[in-house]
Amino acid sequence: MELYLTKNFKTRGSKTLKVYLKNGGYKASKKALKKMKPEEVTEEIKKSGLRGRGGAGFPTGLKWTFMPKGNEKPKYIGCNCDESEPGTFKDRQIIENEPHQLIEGLIIGSYAMGIKACYIYIRGEYTMQAEILQKAVDEAYKENYLGKNIFDSGFNCDIYVHRGAGAYICGEETGLMESVEGKKGQPRKKPPFPAGYGLWGNPTTINNVETFCHVPHIINNGADWFKKIGTEKSAGNTIFGISGHIKKPGTYELPMGYNLKDLIFKIAGGIRNDNKLKAVIPGGSSTKVLPAGMVDVKMDHDSLMQAGSSLGTGAVIVMDNTSCMVRVGIVLSHFYRHESCGQCTNCREGTSWIHQILLGIENGRGKKEDIDLLLDVAGNMEANTICALSDAAAWPIQGLIKHFRGEFEDHIKSGKCTCPESFEI
Amino acid sequence: MPTFTINGKEVKTEAGKTILQAAVANGVRIPHFCYHPHLSIDGCCRMCLVEVEKIPKLTIACNTPVTEGMVVRTNTEKVLKARKGVMEFQLINHPLDCPICDQAGECKLQQYTFEHGITHSRFREEKRPGRKRFKIGPRVVFDEERCILCRRCVRFCREVSKTGELAVFSRGDKSIINTYPGISLDNKYSLNTVDICPVGALTNADFRFQVRVWFLEETKAVCPGCSNNCSIRICHRRGKVYRLLPRKNMDVNKVWMCDNGRITHKQIETSNRLTVPLVKKGNKLEEVSWNEAFDTIAKGIQKIKNNEIGAIGSPHATNEECYLFNKLIKNVFNIKNDIECIVPSWEADDLLIKKEKAANPQGAREFGVKTNDTSSVKKIIKGNLKALYIIGNDIIDNSNTKQDVLQTLSKLDFLVVQDTHNSDLSSIANVVLPSATFAEKEGTFTNINGFVQKTNRAVPCPAKAKPDLEILSGVAKAMGRPFETIEPDKVMDEISKNVKSFKNICYEKLGETGIKINN
Repeated sequence: MELYLTKNFKTRGSKTLKVYLKNGGYKASKKALKKMKPEEVTEEIKKSGLRGRGGAGFPTGLKWTFMPKGNEKPKYIGCNCDESEPGTFKDRQIIENEPHQLIEGLIIGSYAMGIKACYIYIRGEYTMQAEILQKAVDEAYKENYLGKNIFDSGFNCDIYVHRGAGAYICGEETGLMESVEGKKGQPRKKPPFPAGYGLWGNPTTINNVETFCHVPHIINNGADWFKKIGTEKSAGNTIFGISGHIKKPGTYELPMGYNLKDLIFKIAGGIRNDNKLKAVIPGGSSTKVLPAGMVDVKMDHDSLMQAGSSLGTGAVIVMDNTSCMVRVGIVLSHFYRHESCGQCTNCREGTSWIHQILLGIENGRGKKEDIDLLLDVAGNMEANTICALSDAAAWPIQGLIKHFRGEFEDHIKSGKCTCPESFEI
Repeated sequence: MPTFTINGKEVKTEAGKTILQAAVANGVRIPHFCYHPHLSIDGCCRMCLVEVEKIPKLTIACNTPVTEGMVVRTNTEKVLKARKGVMEFQLINHPLDCPICDQAGECKLQQYTFEHGITHSRFREEKRPGRKRFKIGPRVVFDEERCILCRRCVRFCREVSKTGELAVFSRGDKSIINTYPGISLDNKYSLNTVDICPVGALTNADFRFQVRVWFLEETKAVCPGCSNNCSIRICHRRGKVYRLLPRKNMDVNKVWMCDNGRITHKQIETSNRLTVPLVKKGNKLEEVSWNEAFDTIAKGIQKIKNNEIGAIGSPHATNEECYLFNKLIKNVFNIKNDIECIVPSWEADDLLIKKEKAANPQGAREFGVKTNDTSSVKKIIKGNLKALYIIGNDIIDNSNTKQDVLQTLSKLDFLVVQDTHNSDLSSIANVVLPSATFAEKEGTFTNINGFVQKTNRAVPCPAKAKPDLEILSGVAKAMGRPFETIEPDKVMDEISKNVKSFKNICYEKLGETGIKINN
């Protein structure tokens, strides 16, 4: 397995420009700016089959082609480093260890789309990381890798590091844009779409940190090299983050389509205390849970979709047999209730209702019909709102009930938790 | 003009219209809370979800533009289920206090709940508490529990009144509408938020709990508050006016009206209304019959030379009244002097409020009345004027030398005052003629931009007071030169024959929103 994203993470000083250059950094951006036309860059990314690493898996090259060609209006890149999906901590590793990889990706992306300013939206809680990133940006400016006339190519590009104020919803691309503009973070209705009406009403493309980090490698090694890694429809490596009841939690760069079971048992050392595996959330808290019997599955967009879940951000949350699934539901639904921006009726009311029903079940107030009520409420929240937070709040509950309905029924019948060793809430 | 299909019917619509707008134009109703035709689109209530072929998810009708060949369905099982879902979400934390809610009867939430046949709740949790009966502004009362967070009020204050007092604070199920710290919802248009609030969250502090809305009758009228002449509805019951609401008129006021306009009905029922004709006998004004009052005027006027009689008209009078007053003075009294009038004024803004604080100064000018002219007073001082016929009391009300003017007027041999309210002016008159307020009479007003609109009689005059047209006609008759007609529509026919700028005006053509005069 070839590493490229995290290859240099263990090198001393990997976050500095000096070490990044020693490891072959900024070669790709030089190549793109001096030897390639912008359209050729976009075409290469399109050919590589790179899909966004922020959760939705939208083809990156295709997204770039949505940007208008002309320069009548300023155009922007928004780099999404909000990384607020519970269980996800991969972008943070990139920023901490090799921020120049991201900066280089942004330069190439800006060149491809004719953009002069990028905003990196970094989550407010990433204090240290924001400092590291700002230092890297300053370094790049000093050496004229950013600013005016980069590499004497005549291309200008600025990067601004913008810190968030701590809201999950600002990771949604239009919520992010509102927040960058200094407004309350809440998603915008679509149409208009960001490629036409983004930051300050101008064309904008938003990509995840990791997505941009693949770009220099694709430019250096070619689209064909990239396509050979991973699966046919999900190319390249990705950084999986694994957490929960696992012996070796952390981030692991692996090809797309890597087997989930192998990830848990071979790469991450198996379940803590050698307990039995009960369930796995494969792609961050918004994705549907998979029971232990279903973990022999490839970690790519299509395979997980077939299994009734999704790849999301590749953030694997492992739960052993002590975990009470009702409590899992409470933890998750509390998060979404707290983070819903509150503008859409379904999400504002649904997230709090689900949380309250689950609390009722936990506290012995549950009724038999509550399970179907949960499914009904989740169903009414799904696909009916401005952004996907409502769906993200509904799916985990649907997943939990689908695979662990019996446990919910027992919980209601006995009026208390049936997993005595479970974590407390 | 794209052609699209809605519920199986192929229709054409204007380019750039959204599904919701096109549906309304074609008589298809799509329920909605947050959408308002005169505010920006928010898309947050999710009530207007419809099914569009080739779009996998349901889509909101308010924000989806119609495209050529689009196939829209607003009544499929999927749509109805989604709508019912939204209704359930809206209702779980709603207090369901319709029996004591002032909005009942004109509440979208109540109406849609009824339409969707929702009769029980699956919500067993405790409802979210909120502040009740909170004065969010001097004229607006806020009930947080009833609020469905459609944010129409927030958008109104940002986009229409441009005062931006309101915002949604906190997030998720803790979201609340409130004013920014340290300010209250106090702008010249704040009561429009009550009109556009689809539920009973924002209510009018003055109107609430006065009457159940379903008892109210509505009469189409024109606001007399300033020379903009906003189209209004007078809501009244059993001869009492309870509130004024704006009426849609794209040329004049769109769908808004100002807070000051809404209290103009307060003048109708005050204790100092003139209700009976009065004639000065000795030093005292005494109640007389209308005929005696008219005869007293005829005798008084005939005693004085024509060039010593003056006339002060009213910028509040209708076009018809202005015309007949003109006719009375010029043709019946045979007076050459110009009719004058004083127009009260205040600060204008660039939304609705106009500088001239009277319903019809423009109309008065069209009939040759000299506005803001006080040469009569000067003539009295010089001793050139012995008698004066005054409609209204603007001459003293808007004078900063009120006492001086009163003293000058008291020197007159004969003073006729035709007015709605008792005042220092009426107390020095020889004859006092009690007239009608705007809600008690029929006629037309000409606004500052030349739009002529019809206003209708909502309530009867108090006691023996009469509409001005009848009074003027009574005087003319007593003078032995009765008018041919005093029916407002017939008077207008006469006006259009005799006054050039009104050539194109007749009642049939006015419709509900009026037309512009030629000038």
